[in-house]
Amino acid sequence: MLGVFASLRETKKMEVTNILTKTKMPFCPGCGHGPNTRSITQAFQNLGFGSKDVTMVSDIGCTGLVDPLFGSHTIHGLHGRSPALGVGVALGLNRSDKKVVVMQGDGGATIGLQHILEAARRNIDMTLVVYNNLLFGMTGGQMSGLSTNDFKDFKMAADDADPYDIVNLAHQAGAAFAVRVNDLKKYTEVLEEAFSTPGFSLVELASLCTSYGMKKVAEFKEFVVAEERLTNKRPVGITPERNTKPLIENLQGLETKFTSNIEDRVGVIIAGSAGGGVQSAAVMLAQAGMLAGLHATMKGEYPITVGTGFSVAEVILSKEPINYTGLENPDAMLIVTDDGWIKVKDRIASNSKVYVDAKIEAEGNHIVKPFIKAARKKGAALSAVALWLKESNVFPVAALEKVVENHKYAESLQSAIRSAEGL
Amino acid sequence: MLSIIKEFLLKTKTSKKVLIDASKIITEALVQSGADVFIAYPITPSNKFYTYGQMRFPQFLAGPDEISVLQWMAGYSAAGKLPVSATAFPGLALMTETLNMAYMMELPMVLIITQRLGPSTGSATTGAQGDLKFLDGVISGGFPMPIFSPSDFNDAWTLSNEAVKTAVKFRTPVIILTSKEMVMTQKSFDVNTLEPLEKVDRTPKAFDPPYLPYKSGKDMVPTFYPLGNDEHEVRFNSSTHDNEGLIRKGNPESMANTMRLREKLEKRIDEYTFFDLDAEAGATDLIVSWGISADAARDTVTNMRKKGKKVSLLLVKTILPISPKIYEIIDSYETVIFAEENMTGQYKEMLFGKRNSSKIKTATKFGGMLAPSEIEAIVNKK
Repeated sequence: MLGVFASLRETKKMEVTNILTKTKMPFCPGCGHGPNTRSITQAFQNLGFGSKDVTMVSDIGCTGLVDPLFGSHTIHGLHGRSPALGVGVALGLNRSDKKVVVMQGDGGATIGLQHILEAARRNIDMTLVVYNNLLFGMTGGQMSGLSTNDFKDFKMAADDADPYDIVNLAHQAGAAFAVRVNDLKKYTEVLEEAFSTPGFSLVELASLCTSYGMKKVAEFKEFVVAEERLTNKRPVGITPERNTKPLIENLQGLETKFTSNIEDRVGVIIAGSAGGGVQSAAVMLAQAGMLAGLHATMKGEYPITVGTGFSVAEVILSKEPINYTGLENPDAMLIVTDDGWIKVKDRIASNSKVYVDAKIEAEGNHIVKPFIKAARKKGAALSAVALWLKESNVFPVAALEKVVENHKYAESLQSAIRSAEGL
Repeated sequence: MLSIIKEFLLKTKTSKKVLIDASKIITEALVQSGADVFIAYPITPSNKFYTYGQMRFPQFLAGPDEISVLQWMAGYSAAGKLPVSATAFPGLALMTETLNMAYMMELPMVLIITQRLGPSTGSATTGAQGDLKFLDGVISGGFPMPIFSPSDFNDAWTLSNEAVKTAVKFRTPVIILTSKEMVMTQKSFDVNTLEPLEKVDRTPKAFDPPYLPYKSGKDMVPTFYPLGNDEHEVRFNSSTHDNEGLIRKGNPESMANTMRLREKLEKRIDEYTFFDLDAEAGATDLIVSWGISADAARDTVTNMRKKGKKVSLLLVKTILPISPKIYEIIDSYETVIFAEENMTGQYKEMLFGKRNSSKIKTATKFGGMLAPSEIEAIVNKK
């Protein structure tokens, strides 16, 4: 494997300039973040990536200070969110010759863990370098989700929850390459391997915090998690560009083919249960009205639970264009189940003609018909619509038949409409 | 000449009436305007955007949560693409930090918010107009962000186009603020009244060299180059930054850069201010409405005029920032009635605060659509 990278270096001939700028390192004296950053830029130089080839994505915290150190494209985001920002950049660029590298600390890796797992799951072509100093350095040395128990003994013994193994987690989620390195001498070489791996790679680097961590590097090494190196062979995640069809241009227009007897407007409420075809019956009624030259609206109402509970639809049919789509005094109410009855019974107005299914125990003097028996649960609402059309004579039932004639379930819909003839 | 031909073709077009919802119209308009990618997380009542976005956008991604969605959008935008997503308040709440980031970085994007009844998860399938005051202060520091709210299906088409144009022109996130009944209720509509839209040009505009990612000219908007381009090194930054895009705490250049975010949108507000004023000669009453309540306000005006009452109607479409023109119109009437589907009249409160003067009335409703009769009752109330 190392031979491959040596060969790659040779091919690139180290023609590019190191993207490390002359800006003074913004870290505390002795901080491990400086060597980490130098290792990243050295790895890029060794691989032949120049200033326009690289986008460095930085997080919040001490790692968030790195932007001026890179003479390249940079983007500085939010605490913990930089892996997600990097996903967007990598997918938006979609170019294997452009490298996207995200840098965040162990605090950022904890708050943004979901983003890391998602990038790994999708195997997005980018590298995340976790600068792990086992603590929040910028806010006073608090413990993170990557702080080890040995380290917490030193700082905050009360919390003995084991740390996340971010390398193993990334691996389990599908990262092409996940590695933890604690020996500074190996950093550049491992980073080169990560940058050269197609797909998602995570490199966790041990990084001493001299302000809030231990005072000696030798002691620090005892507190970190052991080195680990894991790989997955998976295709790189991309989002292909597609040619899609216009949503509106190809819609079939509903030209007037029938006449309507409506003087002004009528409002209809159809009420039943989820999955009972209430919403589709209402759409068909509205479309049939349009075939009769009317303006139409169809407003649905249902609980958030899609497959259970009530389903109510309001249809307005009007000779004049309709603005407000609310329905205060429905002219007709077509109610096919108990769920529907309970939901709309209080909306019955003095002008409402109310049709209810025979199975509903509805108080009051209403038109009772066996819609469900005639057209089954799925067709009852459409059966009720057809009966109301026939009896109200607002426009011919034939308009409703016309709407369903090319429907993929035309036969059963036509059967539901015809069922009204016998009611 | 081209516009004359277009107008002629539009006039001579036959009608094509379909039963359609505004989600479909907005989605199609955004794609025709050049939006590249829809990044989605499902939430009621914005789910139709998810469905149509999946069908229509050149690229579609399903995010694992709303924070990721907006971060991915920011990444796409920084890479030169125009991303879109749609959510409702619970998602917006999660997106808020990243919305601030995108605003600070000056990243073009369009976010559709379909309002539903709150607080919290409230009633997901009940419409509302209750998120406006949250949006008024959504950018920390009181910075303005363009918010468009369609009042009908034709607005849904044209304002979506304007949203993309504004996002690119001003390098800013733009919000299309809708509500459940606006984007889910289907209406018969002549789709041939919708004029085909052109893709917004993303060619970087000219600049005085050297290129610096946040250096702007007289128009107060820096030239946009994407990450990864081979011409100029680009830096985007969410923290207070200088013209180079590097963190600079409180120096004059970085503070001027931050103040510019407000100035570019407020000084050029006329370029993206949209409203309809139906002024009736001799009227002293003005009904002001927006979004889903606009339809009820239209019917109110029609009904009242049939009864011989003189009344004018102002439908506001650029909800934020508030144009001085809106105040000028309002100031020319004796009585102004705000019609909104929320508890206190949030648009009214943005203009005049919580204390009504004798000139101001509010027709509001919480938990259901405000009806024309309810608006009329408030207009007639002494």
